[in-house]
Amino acid sequence: MTKRTRYFMFGSVTVLLVGLCTGLVAFYTGMPMGAFGGPDGPAELHYVPADATLVAYANVQDVMRSEFRQKLRAAMTDDEHGQAEFQKQTGIDIEHDIDHVVAFVEPGGTDDHHNGMVIAAGRFDIGRLEALAREHEGQVGEYKGKRLVTVVADRDHDEKPQGDTFTVAFLDSGLIALGQTGVVKRSIDRQGGQSVLDNHEMMNLVHDLDNANAWAVGRFDTLISQARLPEAVAGQIPAVRWFSASGHINGGLRGTIRAEARDEQAGQNLRDVVQGFMALAKMQASQKPELTTLMNSIQLSGTGKTVSLNFEVPSQIIDAFSESHRRAED
Amino acid sequence: MTDTRPTRAMPSLLTSSLRVFDLSLGEMLWSRRTVFLALIVGGPVVISIILRIVDLMNVPAMRVNGVKMGGSSIFGLLIWFLFLRFIVPILGIFYGTSLIADEVEDKTITYLFTRPIPRTAVLLGKYLAYLASTVLIVLPSVMVVYFLVVPIGGGGIAGTFPNLVRDLGLLAVGLAAYGALFAAVGAWVKRPVLLGLFFAFGFEPFALAVPGYLKRFTIAFYTQGLVPEAMPQESLISLLQSFFHETVSPLEGVLTLLVITGLSLALAARAVERREYVLEQ
Repeated sequence: MTKRTRYFMFGSVTVLLVGLCTGLVAFYTGMPMGAFGGPDGPAELHYVPADATLVAYANVQDVMRSEFRQKLRAAMTDDEHGQAEFQKQTGIDIEHDIDHVVAFVEPGGTDDHHNGMVIAAGRFDIGRLEALAREHEGQVGEYKGKRLVTVVADRDHDEKPQGDTFTVAFLDSGLIALGQTGVVKRSIDRQGGQSVLDNHEMMNLVHDLDNANAWAVGRFDTLISQARLPEAVAGQIPAVRWFSASGHINGGLRGTIRAEARDEQAGQNLRDVVQGFMALAKMQASQKPELTTLMNSIQLSGTGKTVSLNFEVPSQIIDAFSESHRRAED
Repeated sequence: MTDTRPTRAMPSLLTSSLRVFDLSLGEMLWSRRTVFLALIVGGPVVISIILRIVDLMNVPAMRVNGVKMGGSSIFGLLIWFLFLRFIVPILGIFYGTSLIADEVEDKTITYLFTRPIPRTAVLLGKYLAYLASTVLIVLPSVMVVYFLVVPIGGGGIAGTFPNLVRDLGLLAVGLAAYGALFAAVGAWVKRPVLLGLFFAFGFEPFALAVPGYLKRFTIAFYTQGLVPEAMPQESLISLLQSFFHETVSPLEGVLTLLVITGLSLALAARAVERREYVLEQ
């Protein structure tokens, strides 16, 4: 073997080994691999517990300003009442005060109980929020240097406090947490400790999200097992361990739903089922022109245990639906 | 008077094959054909660099029906269409068929066959050289494509790494199977390249598209069995086809590809051992 051939073989094997070692390190540590990888997700994930069953994120400003939302708002005028009521109760104007939110669900003490918390980043009037809490007999206090406003979530017939208390915590400048008091306090305790960032399986799914401005990632099997479904229904649900749903909302809605099955066989079964439904849905949609674009945009993909469904809802669909709704009303 | 000099025993098949491998690897790597090989495997790398640059400019690299494709989906497409359905068969055809045919054409096969080594060793050594040179060029190219394409659109390396390992194994098995099959064709048939091109780009796509047992006589059917979900679904017809299509299990796919490789090599070895190669004057 000539020297030139030996150098070539050495170079090729080196490229392969470096690539495999890099991939292996990324796989076992869940690292985004610096320049190779995407963003790490929002900074607020530090407050999310490692055993969270569901984590969700939404860039509120992107969503609220989107053309898609404007059209949806024009088509459905009812949603403004809810927004106004929320502002009256909390003093927070969702449309202008909140930049983005991170929410999570964690397993509770009992099998069928889940706790949740929402972390919102934006601009908040602490004084106004505290005054509003006092109006609702809330208590203002401090926990590990963070200001907490706690209100009783539920009362019995004699107006005595009942069940969990609800807390709004001012975690940082422009960062508040809303949730059950215990959950909020545990999140404050978590600072610097283990968080969902150490849950490699969940973070792998978060890293794979494709520039979405709204997403959710979760343990499907855990959520379903605690949903108290009838046995006949639970038996028909595919063996999915993890799921993620992500969307980019702008002129339209571009979304991806991804599921990680228990094993490759379950993944293949799920792909077959989804393909069957897609074929049927496409046949049905051929009679409705407003649905044809949506159905044509649906793409099924995935390898091994992964099943992925991409779709797009163009804003014209909203126009078409509101038009047909208006015609039906006339 | 008797000759008292010790007689040199014929080297074993393995030793002879490794000797031929050693000689052929350099020949294969630094031949004119390597330019063709470099162009073929360089194509996906260039495509990946362009896609990455487009992504860095915040323009969606690829869209299907208006939906932006993620890096891992683009990588799956490149593996399926470029590597598995084009590069692997074409390398098998051009390199596999030339293992013996080139020596016949260059009229150098006599020199090889007059060496004190089994004729099968010539074929095996050359086949191993083919496998080493193609694997050492194709797999690093796939690795570079992977690291360029998968991060597109914010995709992560960590989640898709097992797929890369599987794809690398699949490409190696595909190169082995196609190379062995076309080595047998090259050993038996006079104009093997045409037959190879017809098989890979005429017969295989046709057999895969029609229902029935015909697809079982292709290699693509078994490589497809290892990544059935990687096949893109584009239309209602392909959706329905894939819904009813027949696939083999990954284990069956690998075993069948190994059997095809073994049988093809045995057939090629039989041809090399028995056939009388008449060199054109």
